[in-house]
Amino acid sequence: MGSYRQQPGASPSEVRKDGKRVAGKQVFPPPGSGGSEPKMRPRDLDYIPETVGGREPKPAGDHIHDRDRTGTIVGKAIPLVDSNAKVTGQAWYGDDVRLPGELIGKILRSPHHYARIKSIDTSRVEALPGVVAVSTGQDAPNRFGVLPVTKDEHAMAVDKVRHVGDLVACVAAVDESTAIEALSLFDIEWEELEPVFDPKKGLEDHDEPIHWRGKYHLARTNVQKRVFQEFGDRSLVKTPHAASHGSWTMLGVHHGFTEPHAVVAHWDPNGRLQLYTPQQVPHYTHRALSTVLDVPMHQINVVRTFVGGGFGGKSDPFPHEMCAAILARKSGAPVRITFDREEVYWINRGRHPSHIDVKMTADTEGRISGFDIDALIDGGGFASFGHVTSYYNGVLATAPYELGSFHYTGARVWTNKPASGAMRGHGAVNTRCAVEVGLDEMAEQMNVDPIDLRLANLLPPHSRTISGFRITSNGMREALERVREGSSWDSKFRQLPLGKGIGIGCGFFISGSGLPIHWDPKNFPHATVHIQVDMDGGVTVHTGAADIGQGSTTAVAQVVAEVLALPIEMIHVRSHESDTSPVDLGSYSSRVTFMNANAAIRAAIGIRDQLLKAAWEMLGYHPNVLVLNDRRIYYKHDPAVGVSYLQALHKAQADTGALIARGAYRSPPMGGVHKGAAAGLAPAYSFSAYVAEVDVDIETGLISCTNVWAAHDCGKALNPLAVKGQIIGSCHMGLGQVLTEKMVYGRTGHLQNANLLDYKIPSVHEMPHVEAIIVESSDPEGPFGAKEAGEGPLLPILPAVVNAVYDAIGVRLRDLPLTPDVVYSGIQKHLKKNGLEEPEDIESPRLSHGPLQEILVARGDEHRERDRLRQRSEDTSAYVNGVLFGFDPDRPLSEQVEGWREADEPLPEQLAELGFAGRAWLKKEQRHMEDDA
Amino acid sequence: MVGEEHVSMIPAPAGKRWAATVNGRPFEVLAPSNAVLLDVLRDKVGTLGVKRGCDLGTCGCCTVMIDGVPKLSCLTLAGQVQGADIITVEGLSDGAHLAPIQTCFATHGGSQCGFCTPGFLVASQALLNENENPTRQEIACAIEGNLCRCTGYQQIIDSIEAAAAIHRGESETLAPASEPHPDPHPSGPGEPTMPPGHAK
Ligand code: FES
Ligand code: FES
Repeated sequence: MGSYRQQPGASPSEVRKDGKRVAGKQVFPPPGSGGSEPKMRPRDLDYIPETVGGREPKPAGDHIHDRDRTGTIVGKAIPLVDSNAKVTGQAWYGDDVRLPGELIGKILRSPHHYARIKSIDTSRVEALPGVVAVSTGQDAPNRFGVLPVTKDEHAMAVDKVRHVGDLVACVAAVDESTAIEALSLFDIEWEELEPVFDPKKGLEDHDEPIHWRGKYHLARTNVQKRVFQEFGDRSLVKTPHAASHGSWTMLGVHHGFTEPHAVVAHWDPNGRLQLYTPQQVPHYTHRALSTVLDVPMHQINVVRTFVGGGFGGKSDPFPHEMCAAILARKSGAPVRITFDREEVYWINRGRHPSHIDVKMTADTEGRISGFDIDALIDGGGFASFGHVTSYYNGVLATAPYELGSFHYTGARVWTNKPASGAMRGHGAVNTRCAVEVGLDEMAEQMNVDPIDLRLANLLPPHSRTISGFRITSNGMREALERVREGSSWDSKFRQLPLGKGIGIGCGFFISGSGLPIHWDPKNFPHATVHIQVDMDGGVTVHTGAADIGQGSTTAVAQVVAEVLALPIEMIHVRSHESDTSPVDLGSYSSRVTFMNANAAIRAAIGIRDQLLKAAWEMLGYHPNVLVLNDRRIYYKHDPAVGVSYLQALHKAQADTGALIARGAYRSPPMGGVHKGAAAGLAPAYSFSAYVAEVDVDIETGLISCTNVWAAHDCGKALNPLAVKGQIIGSCHMGLGQVLTEKMVYGRTGHLQNANLLDYKIPSVHEMPHVEAIIVESSDPEGPFGAKEAGEGPLLPILPAVVNAVYDAIGVRLRDLPLTPDVVYSGIQKHLKKNGLEEPEDIESPRLSHGPLQEILVARGDEHRERDRLRQRSEDTSAYVNGVLFGFDPDRPLSEQVEGWREADEPLPEQLAELGFAGRAWLKKEQRHMEDDA
Repeated sequence: MVGEEHVSMIPAPAGKRWAATVNGRPFEVLAPSNAVLLDVLRDKVGTLGVKRGCDLGTCGCCTVMIDGVPKLSCLTLAGQVQGADIITVEGLSDGAHLAPIQTCFATHGGSQCGFCTPGFLVASQALLNENENPTRQEIACAIEGNLCRCTGYQQIIDSIEAAAAIHRGESETLAPASEPHPDPHPSGPGEPTMPPGHAK
């Protein structure tokens, strides 16, 4: 036998005749933690950066982590480390946690949109044999919410219900049917209130606003949050060369994860709560449980089960988690609550239904002189992440283009519907679609190619957006160029026959949020990772990062394996329990890979340094000239001189026992000082560009997307297989939103499609072929250069499809989703307007380049060189948004530009011309009304 | 949904004897006569790998093989399949030996969050039992009843194709198709391997 094989059980051979293989079969070529043959795998130079002597290309030059690369595993396409559990059915999701003696919990939900609870009589419920515990809102009066500034939720309604499906009470019984029957025995007296469904109505005063914020409440409206932001010189937009104005209606969409919410709560004999829940953000649940239950956090252990998809929909602390804990406390037995699919829609937290108005202008040189965005978003019954969403709808449109000015008004209103919240591409998706379609329209007015328009207006790497975001690495240009080439854009755009079209869309997204939600970033790091290595050589990594299928556990294992040059099978990541994991903020804002992998690298370096020190003592060579490779540490110039990993480990452990190290990550201080400056701040940003091809049936309005070229700049693909999976999966979700998915509220405000049959998620047949293109710009602060790949890739697909539809039929559509009825009526309107008879008479749009085209191409070419130098840090001069307009980046813009304004409140004279959401600024907060009185 | 019968009954009605072969082992449990197969499998037989995503026949997470045919266990009454031969995801592997379809789902990115995976695996194993050489279109038809929100299906189809190749005996290799860095210098210098007896 040439090598040592680790086999579960006593399996005679690795591959059998029928092709079945041993699960987790691993070959461990010694030397190392096992065998005896003195043979080491050669270093994999293809995966060692060229900057440190390998062959991996480094287009952006040196990276701080290059020296920590060992060529072991980073950059290689590998399966997720937990995939064997998933393919054998052994992965344990929320409802798979079965504790002995468990009771089944059920939740009583409101049948009314908006009503006051005058009384609840539970006596008939309690009398039902088999019911063990009953609870109502009175048992848990403390409020909670994911954001500390907007805690407006209760475990169960305390005085009012705010939407159909809102929690009223809960029961625990010996079995499901008893629990369901018990729900029918509550006697409740209701006083119905006047509901609000239309977000525009939410801007008006109401007798009984859905929530009351005291002196901060805006008049008597249902506005939860209003935002005003203005940067730059607004006089630029007065005399536009081209202008686009689009009013959009985007319906709400849901995450549609396959696993319905489920939770199991159990108070152990010591009185500690053990709560099992599929959570993206276990730590916030931990905090909220502590508040609601009046129990200190250290008496609660939150166990994150496997998560059957999150996409933002499992990132709030949820009332049913509180209910399970309350029922378990009352009954003294474990309680399991599992949602059915309908309940998943009642708790919602999906993408906000939005009315978005985007005006934009360009000047005679094809520069974008201004964006003017107005976003009115429908928050539903609770705040959730809405405070942040209100900002994101504007500020996440400030890149990747250089802008002359930026103006944003946003408002989020409460309505009597299930709460909207964070969903993949949080807050950025809808505005991004509107903006990218606007650019397409302006390109058409100027007779230029929309890709060239974009290429001539990009912010370079290492620059600053108009709102002050710090852009570091930036692969936007390469992404655009690669999709242009891949899709043969130049021979297709505006040249395809009627009914066939091709379109472009871009996007950028935050890679981690610069400010943690719950604490002062100056005091605590964003992410912490602990590593422990004991005598057997196995490496245990403790992190709180919540793997929701995106592969964060794999990413953490990978970077540790890379630094220590160990096979990934020797790395064991423990991330399920709050008892054993360092606090982590959770899986949102695409922060996990960036922040946790960074922390993990630091911790692994801590272990490595202890090993190298031991090897130094043993070999007499300084760590600087020692090389780690495949469980061996050896002298750089004579590989024969070395020690095995275990020898070094045991030496290092001689006096101390197990090696321990920890690493932490904190994002650098960044950003401006204006109100809301923190929203959208991130240590790095990802960029993407997509081209989509569609077929539109001009008779029926049915759209099918046939091909997508999707280029995403993820900095560095730690695991290209997973990155491509994220890109393709994002396309799928975005296609759903643009083509079929919508939450339909009927005339009575009732959600009509709370099931997967009527809520139409694309099936395998609706999925186009996606050519996933990975762009690597190597972020200076990312772990080995990596940035996010989970959310950003969703943004460009929507506008790419909408633009392609225009290319196919010459009709601009601005109601999402583009279901056949929307397209059909768009076509009919177009026919009427142009005096045409039949859809076949429509002329596909065509492009003949105007004089501006040449100017843009020349500018794009010039900027390509500029970007290359900046990317490689050969040009390190300052660059801020505005340089394209001739301003000096080294002096404050306010000194150079007359009329430069940086404002978070409208001027009195602006009040008259504000858009829908902007009208929230016509109202006053209660405290100021009192001043006036 | 709730019948009178539950009012005074603790514990729940013991129900009828239900017997079937699940993953090659005979099972006999007591289940109410209106019990749904999905519930019996999860709650009584203990095959928690069978997932419940919707209860309405719309997600495919609950797919199991009944006498070789993939069916939705949430739409099947347990009573209908008395004595049948049922295979769940737990029955695809043989002890520690994973079926090619399982390995390929791992190596080709067919599983992200993994919740839909059991259903996909059963549906695609059923396809491969019938057809060792399916086209991408045939694969798509075999999994059209399964919903995946994570992967966008493309890597699932890749996985099934790869497994089919193993079934046909054409492929041994489990490496995923995508290689991130095509080697720019294929014949570049290697590093020395360790000679024996090296350590100081
Ligand atoms: S649970 Fe059976 S199809 Fe969804
Ligand atoms: S892998 Fe998550 S739903 Fe398919």
